[in-house]
Amino acid sequence: MGIHKVEPSDAELVRRVRAGDTGAYGALVSRYRNRLGRYAVHMIGDREDAEEALQDSFVRAYRSLARCDDPSRFGAWLYGILVNRCRTTGARAARRRRMFVRDAQALDGAAHADRADRLDWTDAVDRALARLAPDYREAFLLKHVEDLEYEEIAELTGAGVSALKMRVKRAREQLQKYLREAEHV
Amino acid sequence: MFEREDETVERVIQHLRRPVAIDPGLDARVMREVAQVPREGRRGRPLWPLLAAAAVVATVLVARPWNRTAASNADTLQFVLVAPQAASVALVGDFNDWDPARSPMQTAHGAGIWATVIRLAPGRYRYAFLVNGVEWRADPNAPAARDDEFGTPSSVITVGGRGS
Repeated sequence: MGIHKVEPSDAELVRRVRAGDTGAYGALVSRYRNRLGRYAVHMIGDREDAEEALQDSFVRAYRSLARCDDPSRFGAWLYGILVNRCRTTGARAARRRRMFVRDAQALDGAAHADRADRLDWTDAVDRALARLAPDYREAFLLKHVEDLEYEEIAELTGAGVSALKMRVKRAREQLQKYLREAEHV
Repeated sequence: MFEREDETVERVIQHLRRPVAIDPGLDARVMREVAQVPREGRRGRPLWPLLAAAAVVATVLVARPWNRTAASNADTLQFVLVAPQAASVALVGDFNDWDPARSPMQTAHGAGIWATVIRLAPGRYRYAFLVNGVEWRADPNAPAARDDEFGTPSSVITVGGRGS
């Protein structure tokens, strides 16, 4: 009943963009910004770097739209670009992240002395996630947070399904370990 | 014990699934950048409906995919592809926004040897050949792009450094 707004499909929007309707790309950006942004923020760990990676991925996708073979799967294609971009950013930020972890460990020491300074759950999760190896973090986020199937993740990352399952399992184990350590600070 | 551990991870997952606030200005920044993409790049030809119908039987026999013909800050490079039965070939890559209209290749004497010359500043570029407007081909005599995220074959050229 009533008036239902029918959103154009990804394929339709891609078709419009290819026909010269740049504005249609805005609808695609709006459609995917939050979900992809969440992945980038958790994967990279720095909001500014994540937004830069997200923006760059949208622009790269636009420039390369002719290479999107299946416009109905634009979202998956865009994910692939972002996953790649996050890897590049992650490698650049690795040194910074290591410094962050060292600082955090120093902070842990202080917290041990004064339990009133214990970091809250959000910080604990963020820090546990940051301590995972990038390929573990990537697999865990795509599987459990972005809710993708292993076959889809394999397509995005180029890794085999069994390797991905192993990464997710290790990521779960390590997250438990790191969070348990945080609880006992 | 296991239940408790699973509960911890599930709690992490639920926490991470919460929406993350993204800068509201991001969309506008993307669209500003997009608006600066050259007009012909924005009009990329719709290729996908033709893919199924494509029946390109040309064989790639290229021996020298590109040759340096001058050296300066920007190098002049000749890209060559042998595709005897192709009706058109375009060079597409990072350097021309993957727009086939910007670097069409020419064939001489009807021998199916397609070539084009472009100038490239030092850097690493990914590129491919677009045959008959529908078939993406990597350069068979150049390194494959290992980090290609677009799902079509492409090659890599490094200009002004080792490997070029």
